[in-house]
Amino acid sequence: MKLIRKQFDKIKPSFEKGGKLQAFRSMFDAIETLFFVPNTTTKSGVHIRDSKDSKRLMMIVVIAMIPALLFGMWNTGVQHFLSLGESVDIMTAFWYGFLKILPIIVVSYGVGLGIEIIIAQMRGHEVKEGFFVTGMLIPLIVPVGVPLWMVAVATAFAVIIGVEAFGGAGMNIMNPALTARAFLFFAYPSHMSGDAVWIAEKADGFSGATPLAEAAAGHTANLPSVMEMFMGNIPGSIGETSTIAILIGAFILIYTGVGSWKIMASTVVGALVMAYIFNALAPADNAFMQLPGYYHLIMGGFAFGAVFMATDPVSAAQTSKGKYIYGFLIGFIAVLIRVLNPAYPEGMMLAILLMNVFAPLIDHYVVQANIKRRLKRASVKA
Amino acid sequence: MENLVNIFVKSIFIDNMVFAYFLGMCSYLAVSKTVKTSVGLGLAVVFVLGITVPVDYLLHNYVLREGALAWLSDDFKTVDLSFLSFIMFIAVIASMVQLVEMVVEKFAPALYSSLGIFLPLIAVNCAILGGSLFMQERDYNSIAEATTFGIGSGIGFFIAIIGIAAIREKIRYSDIPAPLRGLGITFIITGLMGLAFMSFMGIKL
Repeated sequence: MKLIRKQFDKIKPSFEKGGKLQAFRSMFDAIETLFFVPNTTTKSGVHIRDSKDSKRLMMIVVIAMIPALLFGMWNTGVQHFLSLGESVDIMTAFWYGFLKILPIIVVSYGVGLGIEIIIAQMRGHEVKEGFFVTGMLIPLIVPVGVPLWMVAVATAFAVIIGVEAFGGAGMNIMNPALTARAFLFFAYPSHMSGDAVWIAEKADGFSGATPLAEAAAGHTANLPSVMEMFMGNIPGSIGETSTIAILIGAFILIYTGVGSWKIMASTVVGALVMAYIFNALAPADNAFMQLPGYYHLIMGGFAFGAVFMATDPVSAAQTSKGKYIYGFLIGFIAVLIRVLNPAYPEGMMLAILLMNVFAPLIDHYVVQANIKRRLKRASVKA
Repeated sequence: MENLVNIFVKSIFIDNMVFAYFLGMCSYLAVSKTVKTSVGLGLAVVFVLGITVPVDYLLHNYVLREGALAWLSDDFKTVDLSFLSFIMFIAVIASMVQLVEMVVEKFAPALYSSLGIFLPLIAVNCAILGGSLFMQERDYNSIAEATTFGIGSGIGFFIAIIGIAAIREKIRYSDIPAPLRGLGITFIITGLMGLAFMSFMGIKL
């Protein structure tokens, strides 16, 4: 460790103001803080110190995503060999998926961090940690067959328009990973939906339809069993299939207090309520509407979205009452879009984006209601 | 009744004036700095649309369209005055806006001064004229349908403008790159909101 510190100290002067390499200062800062806790402190005012800094928060989220990622790699392999009609041992399947998914992760991190560093240089601030999570989320929510250049374009769009135009990480109004996903979805729909994209190098005769697509087409008899969908050996985006792996992540997030349990719980409640409304109203011939509510929780990206996307502390509602409303509406609208909108089998992404847009409004009215209540209390006493 | 509910939901979410047709942009961009004033403007738009669309519906069906004057006498059966629709619709809108302006000035002077020039400018807000023209084009069957459509479109505009106003209040202290400050970032937000609103497109009611 000392050796590394010495190396840093040796080259540091050339990165400082007036030095030879001052154009690369923020890159140096970023690498230095990766290894050492910076000794710079805030200059004025009263500040609270605790062990949580944004680097640590982001790393916890990334750790929480690891189970879903590992499972996704294994499942990619399983689905591939299943479509070929072969059965292989666990390591072969995992290795196949690993080789498929690693390039997507590399591209997403490479493009995103590259742009972050360039913009940080241009604007003269430091590289923020926000992209650690986004760069991991993007690979987990795309189908495994997505071309790499599309990942690059979508990541660039999300980072530049979704984040940097608003002033960098922490100021964005919409979740950047979902912005990338929505961009891909509307720009290249043929690569993001249909039955062919969910399984890597699928054999032609094999149906690769996701459970959601089957349900939307009314073939509820073709659905995998509840246990299969809960475990996650089904076609789908890389990280979203296994509800159990996502639950492990949810446990980590809630236990460490990084993700808000209020949002997760109210999202689930919202989805169940909407599903029961549909159950009550459903005409006899509409099989999708009659599907029990818990099916919605384990199909498609619902669990992943509720745990990792809806809880994004930047774009979610900030007030605690607002979080319940925000989460409830996400679940509610997600099921609504899934069942009623034939254009999109998956409603979770758009439901979260829509509520990201209205989160500031929810907060505004929650705060106003608080102010009103307190004013009333004050005037009664006076 | 079911038909009315469909038209109502459709005009708020699926055919949203701002995000599906990008109408009414000028006041949407200019007055959305704070939630409070945009609530005022939004309500004014709801009111004006809710009145002008049914009035224009009556005009269209009993005066302007081909054969609409048949109730006068048989001689007018072939008269087609629809080339007058623009000017007639605008006249109705302008007088309604005058009415709203007087009401707001009398009962909410603070709101009146914060809305400023944009209140009379509702008269040339394309969302309002658009409402009447969509009504003409879509040929609603009854005045109840036309009123529902008018109020629904107004509420769609209302939701859009208070949504963006809350976002603009939130990002007020953000470190936005200098060239994008003000309207630039507002356009980007509008685009992103349009992306989110695409979730409703394609729902058939």
